[in-house]
Amino acid sequence: MGTFLIVLTYIAYVFIVAVYAIKVRKWIKLPTHIRWDLYPVIHEEQYRYGGSYYEKPEWWMQPRPKNTGRSFWYALKDNFYMGEYFKRNPLYWLFLLPWHLGFIFIILFHITCFFAAAAMVGGVTISATSSQPGGQIVYGLLMVFAVIAFIGGTFGCIGMPVIRLVDRGLRSYAMPMNYFNYVFFLIVYASGLYSWLALDPTLAEYRMYWVGLITLTPPELNPGTIFHILLFDIFLIYLPFTRSTHYITRFLAYFKIRWDDEPNFRGSELEKKLNMLLEQKLSWDAPHMSKGKNWGEAAVSSGLPEPKKDNV
Amino acid sequence: MIRKTRIKDFTKPGGQVAELDAADWMKLPAPYERADKPLRKLTDDQRKRMDATLDGVVAIGIAPPATPEEEKAFIDKFLAGVEKLFDAADNWTFLQPLFHTLEYCVKCQICSDACPAYVASGRQDIYRPTMRPELLRRIISTYVKKEHPLMRKFKASDIELNGQALIRLAELAYRCTLCRRCAQVCLLGCDNALVSREIRKIFSQQMGIAPKEVHEKGSAQQIKAGSSTGMTPPALADILEFTEEEIEEKTGKKIKIPVDKKGAEILLLHNAGEFLAWPENLEAFAILFDAAGIDWTLSSELVGYDAVNYGVWYDDVQFTRIALRHAQAAKNLGVKKISLGECGHAHKAMIVVADRVLTGNLNIPRESAIPLMEEIVMSGRIKLEPGRNNFPVTLHDPCNMVRLMGIVEPQRRILRKIAPQFREMTPHGVENYCCGGGSGFAIIQSNNFPDWRSSVSGRMKLKQTLEAFADKPSADVKKYVCAPCSNCKGQYRELFNYYDVWEKSGIFYGGLVELIVNAMADLRQPFIQWEWH
Repeated sequence: MGTFLIVLTYIAYVFIVAVYAIKVRKWIKLPTHIRWDLYPVIHEEQYRYGGSYYEKPEWWMQPRPKNTGRSFWYALKDNFYMGEYFKRNPLYWLFLLPWHLGFIFIILFHITCFFAAAAMVGGVTISATSSQPGGQIVYGLLMVFAVIAFIGGTFGCIGMPVIRLVDRGLRSYAMPMNYFNYVFFLIVYASGLYSWLALDPTLAEYRMYWVGLITLTPPELNPGTIFHILLFDIFLIYLPFTRSTHYITRFLAYFKIRWDDEPNFRGSELEKKLNMLLEQKLSWDAPHMSKGKNWGEAAVSSGLPEPKKDNV
Repeated sequence: MIRKTRIKDFTKPGGQVAELDAADWMKLPAPYERADKPLRKLTDDQRKRMDATLDGVVAIGIAPPATPEEEKAFIDKFLAGVEKLFDAADNWTFLQPLFHTLEYCVKCQICSDACPAYVASGRQDIYRPTMRPELLRRIISTYVKKEHPLMRKFKASDIELNGQALIRLAELAYRCTLCRRCAQVCLLGCDNALVSREIRKIFSQQMGIAPKEVHEKGSAQQIKAGSSTGMTPPALADILEFTEEEIEEKTGKKIKIPVDKKGAEILLLHNAGEFLAWPENLEAFAILFDAAGIDWTLSSELVGYDAVNYGVWYDDVQFTRIALRHAQAAKNLGVKKISLGECGHAHKAMIVVADRVLTGNLNIPRESAIPLMEEIVMSGRIKLEPGRNNFPVTLHDPCNMVRLMGIVEPQRRILRKIAPQFREMTPHGVENYCCGGGSGFAIIQSNNFPDWRSSVSGRMKLKQTLEAFADKPSADVKKYVCAPCSNCKGQYRELFNYYDVWEKSGIFYGGLVELIVNAMADLRQPFIQWEWH
């Protein structure tokens, strides 16, 4: 079992990273699109009220300062707060936020376990009473991450199906997959919660397990902990088949669509890209579409029906 | 009573998917609580000619396929269009945002209450912003990706398509004003309004189907005759002559409106609606620019004198054609820049969206006229007496100019300076509500669509406009909604007529530049005439 679990864990991590990378790459590789910005654009100077550089006369002659750090922070903090939901549907938010925190923190917990194990291999003691301050900090982080993940995730998984059944809008868009997810994820979180509360209050077994992963020596673990690790590996393999990539793609959508206000100047790299895109041929079938012509040629044409020739 | 609409109801052949009843609609403030009228019923003849089984309303008027063969061809053509929507050559323009929304929307419904049409309708399920993308998603899963039936069951992505369902989908794409309030609240960056536009695109670009006011009498007429109004260059010359006479009559000023002035600094693009329906806007621009010594011109070249670009609502190729012609008109005159008059969608189309289709020497600098107006007002170049505007004024934020472009404060700074009784609507700025006439609705006059537009899509705007003037409800106190957008003004005109707002509440509507000119100290009489039209 020990060797199987180690192999499965490696496969799970490689799989999730690879599939997420493929998905993100697919997203990024989609062609440059028409501007479709939506305000407020957070990197803008006047983002507080949603202003843009278009508020200035001859904006193309003016500096356009961008605060990318602010944009990044804005996008990131919503992963941990989800303010729009709190504002618009607090009851839903009450379950949705812990459900999401469960995801984020269970992954953070396992990643931190890896670093803790690496430190242990290097001779650092990870515990509340460690003589090394770093060991105490990592221990504290592990405990916080695990507690949020197990309790938040369990609470979210119980609450989400309830709110989905109660709320008319959510119910009408529900799919069997949602309920499967709630049950499966509940088992993942609850098994972790049980393992922590009943078997391993200091989470030492996870650190031992990760040391085993690094040193390729399967440790002896409590079956309850093994069960949770097994489920967590399956969870990692399953995640890419859900819409979970939205944790990453929402950043892309913010930066590359909603806040993409980059103007096209003559001679710019963007213009070169656009010229190539405009050379592509159209295959739309409507009569006014200039089928077979490229975008540039179609734009020059009128798309109007040819005048009828008189029969002479 | 609101009937719950399930997604599978959408494909059921036969009766109407949703019944609209005025009793369900969002309540309006006094004295409009009982002002609603039932939507006009279509005649039997209309019902035979056009499928109205979505909600009893018709914006496009698509004839049901007459035979099973026709129905199959109709469906096949649509599905071919769906595939092209995901083709990087055919739809490079919007593929990335479309893909993102279809792939990553979790249907959490947070966007529903942001949609004024959904809320105003009494929360009819069919108007949820997620309805259209969900239908498209299911069509893709079942007919394009052809996912395994078990997978479709697991993901509830099965759909049984028929001609009637497709016609309903086409109509449903014209129940969204593309105001993108739904997108603004989405934490995942999804844009369900865009999906409405992309569905419209399949129907237009693949099947040649669009409301006739938008395509045949809209963008196609603009390309052919020069303007979507049908106004030709000789007609333009007549109108400008009339405008000059009007200016002289009202102000005593003899102003020659510059046309085709080579090398002018600014080519001013007006929505042709101003020439015909609101000439006072055109007059006010001429008076203001003349007084401020601006070097400007209009163009008399085909398309070059009408800023509208309806393509931005439904068809990328039509959009590109018109943007190109606008830029060409500017290039031919050798102007330094293009300035957009008070037309929201033309702002967005020409300044922002066209930015990625105009390259080389057609990429002429483009800006809104509003910052220029602000500069004129704040510079002291013209003498203004704000007391001349001493009546309640509120500001409508055109979605295209504000939420979709970020031009928020210049118009407010002007109003704070020239309108002593200026007050905001709630909400306002980038969180504003659409006038209800966005994305072509203001120009669609066929069948019973105008009733729906006034009763449902414009309802929220009417409510917040009335609330902005709640302290002065009497019709004896003349009040002014400043709507710096031609389509929004068109919608206000229809909305106020439908509910007799001028008679009951004394609320008038008009542009921003009219208010500036009304405050000009050297005018011998008020510029704003308060004549309802």
